Amino acid sequence: MAIEAQPQMPRVWRAETKPHKFCPGCGHGIILKALGEAIDALNIQQRAVFGCDIGCSLLAWDFFNLDTIQTHHGRTTPVLVGLKRARPELLAICYMGDGGAYAIGAQHLVSSVSRNDPVTIIVANNTQYAMTGGQMAPTTLPGQKTETSPYGRDVELTGRPMLGPELVATIAPSGAYVARGTVANVVQLKNFIQKGLSNQLKGRGISFIEVLSACPTNWHTNAAETWHFIEKEMSKFFPVGELRTPDGEQRQEVEHRGRQP
Amino acid sequence: MSIAFKAITTRDGKGIFHLFPALCKGCGLCVEKCPVDTIGWAKQLGAFGTPVVEPGHGRPCIACKKCQLVCPDAAIWIEKQAPQERSDRLTSNDRKSR
Repeated sequence: MAIEAQPQMPRVWRAETKPHKFCPGCGHGIILKALGEAIDALNIQQRAVFGCDIGCSLLAWDFFNLDTIQTHHGRTTPVLVGLKRARPELLAICYMGDGGAYAIGAQHLVSSVSRNDPVTIIVANNTQYAMTGGQMAPTTLPGQKTETSPYGRDVELTGRPMLGPELVATIAPSGAYVARGTVANVVQLKNFIQKGLSNQLKGRGISFIEVLSACPTNWHTNAAETWHFIEKEMSKFFPVGELRTPDGEQRQEVEHRGRQP
Repeated sequence: MSIAFKAITTRDGKGIFHLFPALCKGCGLCVEKCPVDTIGWAKQLGAFGTPVVEPGHGRPCIACKKCQLVCPDAAIWIEKQAPQERSDRLTSNDRKSR
């Protein structure tokens, strides 16, 4: 009997739980596919521990064939830092939304970054709190309509969108890897996540990857408008690329030393 | 893989388009990303009772695999079709007559 065609899921995905619990068109599926492919490429399935936060990201609790823990409001980072300190041979992957990482959980993120804990943090930025119905978040774009900003976000009253990777890149000690990817460029995103995971494997320091994600349900957009919002509107405020790489720092140091007489 | 998904297989242009209706939620992200607009809505229904996608609506598939890449549910698998198996391939006689 010929083998029938089967979906090309990453090996680390748990096929019994698919289709997954996210809405149609959700960016989480694309990010977790890139993460799964990066885990497969580095062959770290036996060592990786996956932590998900509260919000839509908690729906990933049965997504992978990995040991998984779910915590509340940005505490994924300190919980997995504790795990990493107790069992340094394991690989800690913290998966959060922008609400958990930037709003209520910013204290944990900032403390962890200033300690340069060797964990990999992946933050899905969809510009609002998606699970509770699309309220305004720190990352909401100016003028963007949400449940709690029906006339559009007023920057005079509520400030400008928070730039997470820029904050992390500013305060992180050397050895950190900081990047911002987008679900509109999956190959680049997988490359960033793989670099972040190998930074932790080498034990250099914290790895932080923000991903521009989609939420068609709460944005009230169809597929064409969803892509337009990610590629045109969001990238205006959130530039995509690598902000800090340990290799780049080393190169700069070598060049700096070479220039000295 | 202990669980098996049933595929709808369509041959179009350079690609063999495998679609898994049990996984497709009908979000339409692949329809917008397709550079040759070959993907469109089908009559079959998917996981959430929404239409699934099928090729054959625009120019022939070029097997670029962009739809497979952006599908959040891994519901699409593109195989490249060998040139001799393609129905739209020109034979040497066709080329001479042009």
